Amino acid sequence: MTASFIPILAVDAFGSVSMVVIALLTLYKARILRDMDPDNAVFLYLLWISVGFTIFSVSRSFGHILRQFLILTSNAGTWYAISPYSGSVNTVSFMLVGLITLFFNQIWNINEKILTGRKKLEDTHVKLMDLNQTLEHKVIERTERLTSSEHKCRRIFEQSLDTIIVTDSEFMVLETNPAGIELTGFTRDEMVMGKMTVGSFFADASDWERIRNKIVSKEYILNEEAEFLKPDNESLLVLITGGVDYGAFGCAKSHHFIIKNVNEKRQMERQIAQADKLAALGELSAGVAHEINNPLGIILGYTQLLLKQEPEHKEDLKIIEKHVKNCKTVVSDLLSFSRKGTFELTVVDINKVVDGVVKFLSNHSDFRNIEMSLNPYTGDRLNILGNEQELAQVMVNLVINACHAVDGKGHIDIITRKAENDMILVLVKDNGKGIKKKNLPRIFDPFFTTKPVGQGTGLGLSVGYGIIKRHHGDIKVKSTEGKGTVFTISLPSDKSKA
Amino acid sequence: MPEKNLNSLGLFLKSIPLTAVAGLILIPVNGYATQLHSSLEGITTHQVGHLFFLFSMVVLIFTITGKGLDKQKGWRLIQYSAFFFILWNLDAIAAHFFDNQIHAVKMEIISLGEMRIITNNGSSMLAMSYYVLKMDHLLCVPAMLFLYRGLSNLVEDQKKIIARKDLT
Repeated sequence: MTASFIPILAVDAFGSVSMVVIALLTLYKARILRDMDPDNAVFLYLLWISVGFTIFSVSRSFGHILRQFLILTSNAGTWYAISPYSGSVNTVSFMLVGLITLFFNQIWNINEKILTGRKKLEDTHVKLMDLNQTLEHKVIERTERLTSSEHKCRRIFEQSLDTIIVTDSEFMVLETNPAGIELTGFTRDEMVMGKMTVGSFFADASDWERIRNKIVSKEYILNEEAEFLKPDNESLLVLITGGVDYGAFGCAKSHHFIIKNVNEKRQMERQIAQADKLAALGELSAGVAHEINNPLGIILGYTQLLLKQEPEHKEDLKIIEKHVKNCKTVVSDLLSFSRKGTFELTVVDINKVVDGVVKFLSNHSDFRNIEMSLNPYTGDRLNILGNEQELAQVMVNLVINACHAVDGKGHIDIITRKAENDMILVLVKDNGKGIKKKNLPRIFDPFFTTKPVGQGTGLGLSVGYGIIKRHHGDIKVKSTEGKGTVFTISLPSDKSKA
Repeated sequence: MPEKNLNSLGLFLKSIPLTAVAGLILIPVNGYATQLHSSLEGITTHQVGHLFFLFSMVVLIFTITGKGLDKQKGWRLIQYSAFFFILWNLDAIAAHFFDNQIHAVKMEIISLGEMRIITNNGSSMLAMSYYVLKMDHLLCVPAMLFLYRGLSNLVEDQKKIIARKDLT
């Protein structure tokens, strides 16, 4: 059959060129696709396929064009020499494409796994980011709350009017607030650097032992009353509350104490109680004294009348007279204590009274081995409106008591001074044996005495108390056993300047 | 023996297989010691290659359908490409069968505008069919075009995916 060769030639020539062009364009697209997602195995696979097709197209087209060219130029022999190589390359190229194509399923599955893994990784990443952000917010929020809480606690600690002390497990002071420094009288460095224990603030070591044992056994104490002694020997009553803190996050065991100064409150309460008690006793004494005074007067009157008649039992009557007079003295003292009886007021210079008493007593044999010093106020005259004899009696009583306290050998100081609120103070200090703590509330009670029977009536301080109260003053005592006692009389100064 | 001489001997021994392979490819001669390969072996290998290519294209079509990828235009176009390559392979296998394997057809170019197709049995039907089969570019060019279009669509899809990701 004879036919036109042109259609075959045209299709072959244009087809070959088109194949190369389209294969290169395909390769270009595959490259773009792969660059968009280099980790995508399917896109990498498509690039391989495209490379395979390009090799196939180029080798095939080259063979076809060359064949047509050589045959048409009457070089068929050359073509027959080349054709095995061209055919082989062509065969290998489309077999290569076929081979790559068969791996599509595996590549796809691998890619699916990669994508699933990537998705999971991305999800986890998002979750992690979210968690991280939440964590950051929580950290910020908690840090703010912690800072605020710390600030509040620090303010409470610093501003508290009650003492707060933190100690280690051995009760050594680790931290205290400004109120603690004021209460104890020690500086923070003295307490912390000096490794002071809470026990060193106590006036009485046995008090601390008691409280310490209680903390050790019960792990807390609540409103325990104790007496603190400041470096200047001023003592004060305190209420202590405390407990054990085992700490958090590996902190060591510590103790914390809250100490309240109740000195003034307790003293006030004691004074009120004392005043109430003494007022009641005064009323009772006055009643009794009044009832006894009249019969005693009658007995004394008749006794003295009988004595004037030179009776047979004169000696007996004198004994009766003596004891009735003693009784009248006691009754008189009771009346003085109860602030009853006559009372003449004059302007009295207290320094003059004290000086008189010191001079009078220093000549007494009991004061031979006692060093008595007088430190009078050297400014204005310390005038008060009162009864000079009664005030002298009070001073004599106090000084004699001091003499007994030092046991005839020691030091007695008498000081006068002016206080701020127009009050005049008289202090009688001794370095004697002191008054027992349990006796302190009773020393102003009538007939209370620690002296042996027959050596004291127990009315000296009661009478003194009554006299000072009648002068609108006050008498206070401060005593430390084994160290001494201080009686402080305060009297209102005379404003008339007479 | 000096070390230099030893190195030269090693290099010589290594180059023997390479020289032999090069010689076999470039100067083919009858190798009576090895198996004899007839001239038919070349065309048979080529035909097997076409069959293998055809088979891989069939597998590709079914794999794409099996994975549900044919819902995407890009992959659907690649399926079309595979289909056209199947047709092209059938075309090529048939053409090679007639002219190279059973030598039933022979083509003679008379001039640039005229050609003659000679069939052994004188069948004009076979000659006509062979004439059509020779224009196999009408199948492989559309096949490559569909592959290109398929990849272009996949590129567009990927661009959209990236744009969507950027938005979120």
